Amino acid sequence: MAMEGPPLIDRRMAFVLGKGGVGKTAVAAALALGLADAGHRTLLVEVGAETRTEALFGTAPALDEPVEVRPGLFALTVDAELATQEYLSIQLRVKPLVEMMARSRAFHQVTQAAPGLAELVTLGKIWDLATTVRDGAPVWDRLVVDSPATGHGIALLEAAGNARDLAGSGPIRDQAEAIEKVVRHPSATGIAVVAMPEDLAVTEAIEAVELLRARDMPVACAIANAVRRSAFSPADAQALRAVLAHSAAGDAERAAAAAAIAVTDGAHHDEREVEGLGRESGLPVAVLPHVPDLAPGSGGLEALSAALMRDPAVRGAG
Amino acid sequence: MNNAFDLVEMLEGRRVVVVAGAGGVGKTTVSAALALGLAARGARVAVVTIDPARRLASALGIDDLGDTPHRVDPARVQAAGMRMEGTLDALQLDPQATFDRLVAREAPDEAAREKILRNRIYRHLSTAVAGAQEFMAVERLHELVDSGHYDAVVLDTPPARNALDFLDAPERMTRFVEGRGLRLLLGPRGGVGRTGWRALQAGGHMVMSVVERLTGAQLLTDISEFLQSFDGMYEGFSERASAVRFLLASDSSRFVVVTGPRPEPAGEAIALWRRLRDDRYPLGAVVVNRVHPQPGGADAPPAALAALLADAGAPDPEGLAARAADALAAARARSAADRHEIRAIAGALDAPPITTVPALDDDPVEVAGLARVTRELEGG
Repeated sequence: MAMEGPPLIDRRMAFVLGKGGVGKTAVAAALALGLADAGHRTLLVEVGAETRTEALFGTAPALDEPVEVRPGLFALTVDAELATQEYLSIQLRVKPLVEMMARSRAFHQVTQAAPGLAELVTLGKIWDLATTVRDGAPVWDRLVVDSPATGHGIALLEAAGNARDLAGSGPIRDQAEAIEKVVRHPSATGIAVVAMPEDLAVTEAIEAVELLRARDMPVACAIANAVRRSAFSPADAQALRAVLAHSAAGDAERAAAAAAIAVTDGAHHDEREVEGLGRESGLPVAVLPHVPDLAPGSGGLEALSAALMRDPAVRGAG
Repeated sequence: MNNAFDLVEMLEGRRVVVVAGAGGVGKTTVSAALALGLAARGARVAVVTIDPARRLASALGIDDLGDTPHRVDPARVQAAGMRMEGTLDALQLDPQATFDRLVAREAPDEAAREKILRNRIYRHLSTAVAGAQEFMAVERLHELVDSGHYDAVVLDTPPARNALDFLDAPERMTRFVEGRGLRLLLGPRGGVGRTGWRALQAGGHMVMSVVERLTGAQLLTDISEFLQSFDGMYEGFSERASAVRFLLASDSSRFVVVTGPRPEPAGEAIALWRRLRDDRYPLGAVVVNRVHPQPGGADAPPAALAALLADAGAPDPEGLAARAADALAAARARSAADRHEIRAIAGALDAPPITTVPALDDDPVEVAGLARVTRELEGG
């Protein structure tokens, strides 16, 4: 299947999607770091109240104002409630009116009762950040969105389309249409689906890609995270297996040979999973190594970022 | 690490087993393995998965895991070396179908039912309202327990950052459908009704006109219709919500918290266990899944291994022996880190019952693989 649109790193908005536990947040941070290092003014967006950016950069993202966590790399947490208030103040302009709305119990119930409204304002805020221009130039060259875990991540991307269906008329409908155009456009937006090289995770990633495609969403690539590699050649593996069967081998030799064979088996297993992911999703797959320590100062995130940025699945074949 | 107790035995006789934990820790596999163990011992068991679990379905020999329970062929279980005294059914949650049935049951008449099912808000409900999926999971649990067809229902909970969302879901959903306050503001046709006008002093009318200006009148009409169509159904909803809450808090239930031996899911598991304990839910055990086993044997002197490798025709026996020694050291370090994490969980929680399942190279794809996990959960 041919890939539509430019490589992921050339799109203004990247949405990083994946199930819980696949390392989505680390991959999003690594991508954002790589883009910033490449000279793009980059904003890493986290969605929802809980944040992991702090654990990766040592600086907590702020709720209302982007915080510079590395040179040229900023982080921001988008919270639906704050985004709703911000939206109201832009729309209504009259401060007392905005305050009254924010205090109104009825208003909160409307926002609860309108399905997907929280996602819509969140997506709207991201869209707004992506399209804001100052002095004739975009404020942000790149946005990397650490999306909520898959089911919800797709709901976020679908929010604009849903709103178009639900709100029959009025400014929200028009805005939803404008947002939808950008989010669906493969030259502006790219979705990266993250998976671990495990059966279940790969199956789920493939299902997510199918769902996204069915909804005309611009999927750019898949990213296989924490893929084990082997430092042993097939000839090595053969000799190691011979040692296991060797009558002169003691427990200690067997333990070392078995540990090495387990590494080659693990690497083969992961290789098959990565191949399956590529074959069944029809997407280019970036392959990231297993990085045990991502804490600030460990160099782990930088290593992950370097591996991601040199992968042709992310940067294009050229 | 040897498990000191038999988790399946601990769960025997319970009507509900809730399996919770962070995403990606293997909750579905643990749920299925526990259900298999209970069924093997003679119970009529249903296991409910939330996420599509194709591999699990194929492991159980079920082609289309769906909303209707499918019986696992006992011959498959016996072929895996396990005696099957009871029955095992598996099903996958279909939130919309579950809610449709709830509406059908609670709606006063056919017309009311049709009106709800056609409403646009309702049709987006199961996917778009936060907590809706959790609510349906709890509702499905209620249905299955009520049906009288099962001695035990094992529920694989939805993955969520806060894996306990689903405990609050019934009440949250009931409140939402009730929509107090909002109903006063919305007249029968949407927009601001006359009742609303009278009831409002605090500028509610203005709030509604602002909302109407932003969303168009259609959305308010739909919300209004939606809330009205649930008239007379709240009692049924809230009765079910409290019945489920009562069941989950009773001695008939047990909560099993699953985690991996890594700091992040372990942190979530610890928070989850504490919250369950504080809210007095009946605790079962913590399952630490995918633990790296401790490699046996001492460290090999590289020269001895190199000699053997040279014998076996390795191209670079010394280098290979050194790399093999590194691999062994790495495996020991991994195993040590896992055990450290398990001790940290035990320490943080005042030594709860903890059972471990070793890392398998693959998620189980056959009943035999699941049976292996079951045996580990039974104490290895």
